[in-house]
Amino acid sequence: MYLELIIFLTLLAFGYGFGRYAEKKHYRSIIAREKELNNIPAIATKHAPVSGQQHDSNLVMGSVVISIDYFKRFAASLRTLIGGRVTSYETLLDRARREAILRMKEDALSQGGDIIFNIKFETSSIFKGKKNTVGSVEVLAYGTALILKQGAH
Amino acid sequence: MALPSFLSKELIKLEYSNPEIPEGINTSKEHPLKEFLLLVAGVLSSIAILILLLVLLSDFIVGYIPFSWEKKLSAPFTSTEKSIKHTDNTTLINNYLQKMAARITVAQNLPEDMTIKIHYLDRPSVNAFATLGGNVFFFRGLLEKLPNENALAMVMAHEIAHIKFRHPIQSLGRGVLAGLALSIVSSSAGDAIMENFISEAGILTILKFNRDMERDSDKAALGSLVSIYGHIKGADDLFLVLQQENKNSEPYEFFSTHPLTENRISNIRNQSRQSAASETTSITPLPNDFKRWLQSEKSEPDSGSDETDPAEINI
Amino acid sequence: MMITNIEIVPGKQITKHLGLVQGSSVRAKHVGRDIMASLKNIFGGELKGYTELLQESREEAVSRMVSQAEAIGANAVLNVRFSTSSIAAGAAELFAYGTAVVLD
Repeated sequence: MYLELIIFLTLLAFGYGFGRYAEKKHYRSIIAREKELNNIPAIATKHAPVSGQQHDSNLVMGSVVISIDYFKRFAASLRTLIGGRVTSYETLLDRARREAILRMKEDALSQGGDIIFNIKFETSSIFKGKKNTVGSVEVLAYGTALILKQGAH
Repeated sequence: MALPSFLSKELIKLEYSNPEIPEGINTSKEHPLKEFLLLVAGVLSSIAILILLLVLLSDFIVGYIPFSWEKKLSAPFTSTEKSIKHTDNTTLINNYLQKMAARITVAQNLPEDMTIKIHYLDRPSVNAFATLGGNVFFFRGLLEKLPNENALAMVMAHEIAHIKFRHPIQSLGRGVLAGLALSIVSSSAGDAIMENFISEAGILTILKFNRDMERDSDKAALGSLVSIYGHIKGADDLFLVLQQENKNSEPYEFFSTHPLTENRISNIRNQSRQSAASETTSITPLPNDFKRWLQSEKSEPDSGSDETDPAEINI
Repeated sequence: MMITNIEIVPGKQITKHLGLVQGSSVRAKHVGRDIMASLKNIFGGELKGYTELLQESREEAVSRMVSQAEAIGANAVLNVRFSTSSIAAGAAELFAYGTAVVLD
């Protein structure tokens, strides 16, 4: 009984400490890279107002799987008992989405793309283990990058 | 042919910009620890309230179950007649215990139909328990350790008080109702950690009611000791025996079905100091042959399991 | 703030594209609703509690998307899409995203 309680509290403390540290670090990196890749506009509209003569188009995508920490998962399942906004998952999804966009932009950059159109997202939760003891979300962002043809300039 | 100017790279850049979006729109600003503490407090108190309501409901329903039903129901499960070798000594012990039970029954003013049946079990555990239908079980291990008749009367009065207050069936009812509710709630929580958390929280709440039962029974038992012997001296000897037995292994009261043995002892001592009992009151010894009756029975090896079900309430 | 899921608004000119804006909301109903819903699963029919839950979440997701758009000076969000995913048992995420633009 005491042993279980101690293990539980230790896991909570570890989850809180490491989870918070990882989240802060991730946000710092996201914000820095967003500034860097700011010159590649990413928009959700379908039609590119350019003719196909000067540009090639190519599918670009970025995906990420991020896991929730012990503390947050526990807080989230407490929240599902009471109801209301599940704040534990908000930052998780926000991070996952922005990371996926960044990876997509990096993909576009590596292909020489200037702008990404028609962005779409796929979100899926991946639960594994006995009674969903491993919880994580996958976000995939994909769109079409316009790539300036070589020699067109 | 020259391309229209709006297709040039520079113009695309001009028309398509990517302004920085401020942080914190898609996330909540509340500090996670604060929210966590509120959630834990909220969930724990709602579980406690749920259990409290179910206990009240169960006690209300149990109040309508006549004792005779309880007796009929429990009859097939509590018959020890066949499993016990009837030697002279077991008969002597049984007679002695039954006689003692009769005195306590009178002292506690048990209703007419509430009959007590004492069973003696030849096993080494230091324990005794009361269960459905007015059945009280004594283990050899406990009887061997008791130093005097007052301590024995204390155990028996305590168990009989459980039966008087109908604790075995209350405890069964609470177990069934609360267990059902907890399993429904925890199964829809859908998370292994949460399931454990909910059932532990529920169990800890039920334990609080168990301890109250024990306190009530201790109180009633002391009352009957006063009416039989005129004092409560020797009652604490029972708990000294238990303390000796559970040395170092007693959990905190919060995690236990019973109040701390230490507290039960000091409770008895306080009461004995308050009462006018003088130093001259003496402790009644056990019958001379009592130890001999128990000694000769030690042939059978221990085969009992330590599993208890909610309707069995030990000391 | 104009929110549509068409690309070109008739009679209006897009003067500026301001990129992607998004809003999300994860919500859960209390356990009583979950228990009722699992009972309802036996008989079928609409789960009013969950309809309500998703509706609330969707509204919040849209309002968060709109506040992102407002923050960067847009006056319309075009080509809005919704996606719903169940994140954990009893909790669902509503996600809305679109292109923030300045319309003339």
